[in-house]
Amino acid sequence: MSAHAATADHSHHDDHGHHHEPGFLQKYVFSTDHKTIGIQYGITAMLFLLFGFYLMMVMRWSIAYPHEPLPGWMSWVFTDTWKARWLSDGKVTGDTYNMFGAMHGTIMVFLGVVPLGFGAFGNYVTPLQIGAVDMAFPKLNMLSYWIYLVGGLVMCASFFMESGAAKSGWTNYSPLAGFADGQIVNQWLAGQTQWLLGLVLLITSSLLGSVNFITTIINLRARGMTWMRLPFFVWAMLVTGFLLLLAFPPLEAAGIMQLADRVFHSSFFMPSGLFTKSEGLVELSGGGSPLLFQHLFWFLGHPEVYVLLLPAIACVAEIIPANTRRPLWGYKSMVYGVIVLGFLSFIVWAHHMYLTGMGPKISTWFQITTVLISVPSVILLTALMISLWGGSIRFTPAMTWACAFIPMFGIGGLTGLPLAFNLVDLHLHDTYYVIGHFHYVVAPGILFGLFAGVHHWYPKITGRYMSKTLNHMHFWPTLICMNFLFFPMLVQGMAGFHRRWYNGGDAYLAKAADSTNVFGQTVAQHIDLNITMSWAAWIMAAFQIPFIVNVFLSLFAGKKVGSDNPWNATTLEWATPTPPGHGNFTFDVATYRGPYEYSQPGAEKDYLPQWEKPATTAPADAPTQAPAAH
Amino acid sequence: MEIPYIFTPRKDTGMVNSKIAIWLFLASEVMLFGGFFSSYVYLRLGADYPWPERALPVLPGLINTFVLIFSSVTVVFAWAGLKLRKWRMFQVSMGITIACAAVFMVLKAIEYNVKWHHQAVRLKDYTILEGHLDYDKKANTGEVTKDGKPVFAEADQIHVATESLTFNTLRFHKPWVEELLRQAGSNGAKVELAEELSIQGEKIPAGTPLSVDLLTKIQKNHIQSRTNNSDVRTEALRAEWIATYAKPENADKKGWELAPGVNIDVAKIKDQLMLETPSVTFAVKPTTNFWFYHRDVKEGATQSRLRDDTVLNGKLLDSPVAFHNLDAIDFRHVVMKAEEKGIDPVVAIENTWLIKNSKEAREAWEWNKAQTAKLEQQLLEKHGKDENGVAKRVPTATERYRIGWKDFIAKADGVDRGKEEIHVSEEFMGPNYKLREPKHTFPHLKVPRDLVFLSGKFTPAWNTYYAIYFTMTFLHGLHVVGGAVVLGYYLFCGKKMYQSNPEWLANRVEVGGLFWHFVDLVWIFLFPILYLM
Amino acid sequence: MADSPEQIKKSIKTYTIIGLVLFLFTGITVAVATVPALDIGVHGFDVWDMILGLLIASFKATLVGYVFMHLNHEKKAIYWIFFGSMVFFAFMIALIMSAKSDPIHFNGFNFGLPF
Repeated sequence: MSAHAATADHSHHDDHGHHHEPGFLQKYVFSTDHKTIGIQYGITAMLFLLFGFYLMMVMRWSIAYPHEPLPGWMSWVFTDTWKARWLSDGKVTGDTYNMFGAMHGTIMVFLGVVPLGFGAFGNYVTPLQIGAVDMAFPKLNMLSYWIYLVGGLVMCASFFMESGAAKSGWTNYSPLAGFADGQIVNQWLAGQTQWLLGLVLLITSSLLGSVNFITTIINLRARGMTWMRLPFFVWAMLVTGFLLLLAFPPLEAAGIMQLADRVFHSSFFMPSGLFTKSEGLVELSGGGSPLLFQHLFWFLGHPEVYVLLLPAIACVAEIIPANTRRPLWGYKSMVYGVIVLGFLSFIVWAHHMYLTGMGPKISTWFQITTVLISVPSVILLTALMISLWGGSIRFTPAMTWACAFIPMFGIGGLTGLPLAFNLVDLHLHDTYYVIGHFHYVVAPGILFGLFAGVHHWYPKITGRYMSKTLNHMHFWPTLICMNFLFFPMLVQGMAGFHRRWYNGGDAYLAKAADSTNVFGQTVAQHIDLNITMSWAAWIMAAFQIPFIVNVFLSLFAGKKVGSDNPWNATTLEWATPTPPGHGNFTFDVATYRGPYEYSQPGAEKDYLPQWEKPATTAPADAPTQAPAAH
Repeated sequence: MEIPYIFTPRKDTGMVNSKIAIWLFLASEVMLFGGFFSSYVYLRLGADYPWPERALPVLPGLINTFVLIFSSVTVVFAWAGLKLRKWRMFQVSMGITIACAAVFMVLKAIEYNVKWHHQAVRLKDYTILEGHLDYDKKANTGEVTKDGKPVFAEADQIHVATESLTFNTLRFHKPWVEELLRQAGSNGAKVELAEELSIQGEKIPAGTPLSVDLLTKIQKNHIQSRTNNSDVRTEALRAEWIATYAKPENADKKGWELAPGVNIDVAKIKDQLMLETPSVTFAVKPTTNFWFYHRDVKEGATQSRLRDDTVLNGKLLDSPVAFHNLDAIDFRHVVMKAEEKGIDPVVAIENTWLIKNSKEAREAWEWNKAQTAKLEQQLLEKHGKDENGVAKRVPTATERYRIGWKDFIAKADGVDRGKEEIHVSEEFMGPNYKLREPKHTFPHLKVPRDLVFLSGKFTPAWNTYYAIYFTMTFLHGLHVVGGAVVLGYYLFCGKKMYQSNPEWLANRVEVGGLFWHFVDLVWIFLFPILYLM
Repeated sequence: MADSPEQIKKSIKTYTIIGLVLFLFTGITVAVATVPALDIGVHGFDVWDMILGLLIASFKATLVGYVFMHLNHEKKAIYWIFFGSMVFFAFMIALIMSAKSDPIHFNGFNFGLPF
C-alpha cells in the first residue's frame, strides 16, 4: 500500500488533496464510497422493511377479523380505485391476502433483511474493520446498490398493475407460479413475471456484492491483520459472501427457467397432463418437474437463512465484548463454527421438502445433516452467552438489543429442531408452527441483532449518540409484542392451523369440520389467539415510531460523542475520524493484536485497540504516526 | 485515495484484486451452469416422452466447437503478446478471437432461425409431425389487401365466424381490439354496439361503431362506478358491524359467530350505487371470419375466448394445421405409450389417424419398415447372436419409428437409408425444397384441429429438450457476447493503457481471457450433451 | 507475475500443442457418436457413448483449465475457490439425483375428482 502522507486531519471530507470536491450527486447519490453506499443500503432496506411490516398488518386484519372491512387507519394507504379492485366490500379477499403474503415474504427476506445486514452493515463496517481504504471495486459496489434498488422497485411496482403483484408465495412454487397471471396478454407486465425479473436483478446485485466483499477481505486487509486477528464480524461477512456467491446462482437458473415457462410457454416445471379448472387440459408440452424448482429454490433457500442470520450474529458478537469489557469467549471456535455452518448449510436444503415424496434413505441423509448444522449454530450462541459471564455489563442501547437477541434467537433455533425430523415435520409442515419458528429466528432474533448494530455504529456514522429514553420506549414494547405475536403461533400450529388460511381458520370452522388432532386439540380452541396476535402486531407497529424518531432526531439533537472511540472498543473502525472521511484512515494503519483484547492483565486501560503499537516490541514496519489516544 | 493491489500483487496472497474477483465470479458461474446441468439431467431422466437424442444437426455444433477452441488459443496468444510487449501480436490474436466470437454467434443465429421456422405438431394420439406450413388456399382469411389480393393466414390459426364480440371492460387488450377492427374493416364488416348503454347520464345509442376510445370510455366509467360502489358498500358494511357489536346480546360473541347475520342492506344504499359495466357486447354485421393465433384463443364450438377475456360468439370454422411439406413423421411417442399399456407398437402405429388417412404416410411407413428389417438383417450378419439367441445389435427406436427428411429423400431416390446424397447446406438448414422438388416430394397433409394436442415451431414450448437447449445455449451465447465486448474494449481502447502501464493491460487481458476460457469450457460440455447424446 | 519472456515463449508452443490436442479430441468425440463402425456398446446411443462423451469432454475441460487458465501454477486460494464451487456443484447434482431416485411409491388419494 502506498503510504499516505498521514496527517491526523479530522475534517469531514478528507480527500488528501488529490481529488476535486465531488458534487452533491456524486457524493450522496451516485457515490462509490463504501460508507455512503452502506447508508444508502440501510435506508432503502429499512423503508422496505417498513413496507413489508405494513403488508403484514393488513394480513393480520384479514386473519383476525375476516368479515369486517379493513379499518380506515390501515386502508388510507390505498387509493379508492385500488381498494375497489382488490377489496370486496372493504374486506380483504383471498387473492389480496395471497399477494400480500407473497410480497411480505419476498420483501422481508430479499429486500429488507439481507440488504440491511449484508449490504448496509457489511458495506459500512467491513472495510473499516480490516483497515481498508474502500472496497476493492468501488464502482461495482455502487452498481450493486443500484441494481438492488431497481430490482426491488420492479417487484413492488407490480402492486399498481392490472395483474397485481406476485401471488404464489415467496417460494414461488411451480406450477402455480407458472400459471398465475396467465390471463395477462403482455406477460412482461404481469406481477408474477415482474417478480422473476426483480429476482434476477437482485441475484445479480448480490453476486456483485459478494465478489466485492470476498476480494476486499482477502486482499485489502491492513498490515498485520492476519486471518486470526480478523474480528468475528468480518469472518461472518466472508462466509455470508460465499453463501451468496454459490447458493444464489442455482436460483437464478430456476428463475430464468420459470421466466421461460411463463413467457415462452416452455415446460421446465410443468408436468404432463396438467389440468386446471379454468383451462381444462393445459396446452403445454409437459414433461417437466415441479420438484426440480423446489430443489433449485431450496438450494438457495437454506443458505439464505444463514445469509440473514450471520450479519445479525456478527453485530452481536461485536457488541457483547465491547459492553462486557471481556474478550469474546471462544473466538476461534466461533470462527471454525461459522465456516462449518456455511459449508453444511449447502447440504440440508431438502428438509423443506419432506412432504414431496422423498424416500426414507434420502430423507435420513437430510435429517442427519440438519441436526448436524445445529451444532455450529449452538456453538455460536453458546459462545455469545458465555461471553456475558462475569463481565461488567454496560447496558448501552446496543447491549439491550444484543442481550434480547440471545434468548429470542435461541427460541427460534430450538423450535426448529422438531422440524428437522421427518416424522414430526409431517405433522407440522405448513402450519403456523413453522411460521412461528422462523419468525422467532428472523424477527426478534435477526432484527434485534440489526437494531443493536444500528445503535452501536450510529455514533461512528453521525458523531452523535442515539437517545436512551427513546430506545427504551422502542425496546421494551417491541420485545413484549414480539412474544405475544409469535409464541401463540407455535401453539396454534401444533393444533393444526394451516399457514395459508387467509381468514385465520374461520372458514374451516364455519364448515363445522373441526376435529381433534392427535393431541386432542381443535382449531376452535385456539382461534381467539388470532386476535391477540394481531393486536400485538399493530401495537408493535406503533412502538416502532420511537425508533424512527430516534434515528432522525439524534442526527441533530443527539448527544455528541466525546471521542472517535465512544465505546472504548478495540476494532479498527474506531480508529477512524468521526464520521470517517473518504479513504477512511488518517494514519498508516497497522494491526498488532487480536480483535477482542479487553481487560488484559497488566494493561493500563481495560482495552487494547488493535491499532495501538505495543510498547515493548516494535515491528519493523510500524506506522509512522499513530493517532492520539483519546 | 487509491485502492491498492490493482496491478501489483499483494505480497502474502500473491494476487491482484481482479484475479481473485474473476475466479470468484467463475465459481459462481460454475454454480449457475451447474444449476442448468443438474436440470438437464433431472429433466432427461424424468422425461415421460422419448428424449430426442442426437436430434440436432451435428455440423454447425462441430464447427462452433472448433471456432471456440481456436479462439481460446488466440486469446492466450494475445496475452502472451502483451507479456512479450509485442503490440502487433496482441492486436492480431485478439482480433481473431473477436472474429471467432462473431462467427460463433452467426452460426448460432442460423441454427436458431431454422428451428423457429420449422413446424411441429403433436396429435392427441401422440403421433408427431414435423415440416413446414404453407399458405394454404383453405386458410384464406377472406380479407383482401389494398391491391385486392386475398390475405392468407399461416395455416395454424383458429377461425371463428363471429356474430358478436363481448369485451371484458377491464382487461381488453388494445392491440387485439385494433386487430379485430382491422380484420373487420378488410372484410367490409361493421362492428357496432349491440344495446344502448348509459354512462353517467350520457346515452350511447346502439349501433355506435366499436373503437378503442369508446372501450376506454366505458372502462373509465366502469372503474368510477366500481370505486363509488365499493366505497358505499364498505361504509354500509362497517355501519352494520358497529350496530351488531353494539347490541347487548352480542357482547361475548365472536366475529365468526356473528358474521352470517351481518349483511349490507342493499335497499338502503340503492340510490348511491352507480351502474357498473363489467362487459360490453358489440354485434358484427354481417357475420365475419376472425382469426387468431391458436395460443391466444380457447376455442369452442359456438363460443371462443381470447386470452384477454374477449368472447367471440359464433361458429368455429374449419381451422386445420396444413403442412405444405411434411418432412418427418415420428412414432416414438406412440410406441412409448403403447408399450406402457402392453400394446404391440406396430399395431398401435398402424391404428393411428395418420396411417389410416394418409396414403403418403402409409407408404413412407412401409418403406421404413422394410429398411429397418434390412438393417436388422445386416446387424445380425455382422455381430451375430448372444448365448440366449438374441441379436447382439438391433436397430434403434429412432431407426424403427422415426421417418426423417433424409429418409424421405432416400425413398424418392430409390436408395437405401443412409445412402442418399445430402447437400452440405442442408446439413445446416434441413431439406432445401427448391433443390429437391419436383423429384423428391414431401407429403402434403392437413390435420383437423380437433386432433391436434400441441402445435408450434421448434421453440422452448415444443418440449423440455428444446427448452433446455435454447436456455442453455442462449445463456452461453450471452456470455460469448459479453466476453467479446470486454475483449473488444481491450483491443480498441487498450493502446493508451499499453503505453502507460502494459503490465496492467496484460493483467486485465488475462482476467478477460480467464472468462473467455470458461465460456469455452462450458461449450465443451454443452456440445456433447446437446448434440451428440 | 514471474513469467519471464523465455517462459512465455516456451508456453506459446505448449498452447499450440494443447489447441491441436483439443481439436483432435473434438474430432474423436464426434466420430464415435456419428460413425456406425465406431459404435461402442449396442448399436446407436447408449450409456457407454454417454460415459465416453463425458470423459472426453472432461479431459478437454481439464486441459483448458490446466493450461489455458494457468491452473498448473496458480495460488492456493484460487484452488480453494474454484474447486470449492465444484464440490458444491457435485453436492447439488448428487443430492438432487438421489432425491429423485428414492421416491416413496404412493398412489395418491382419490377424492373422486375426474382427474
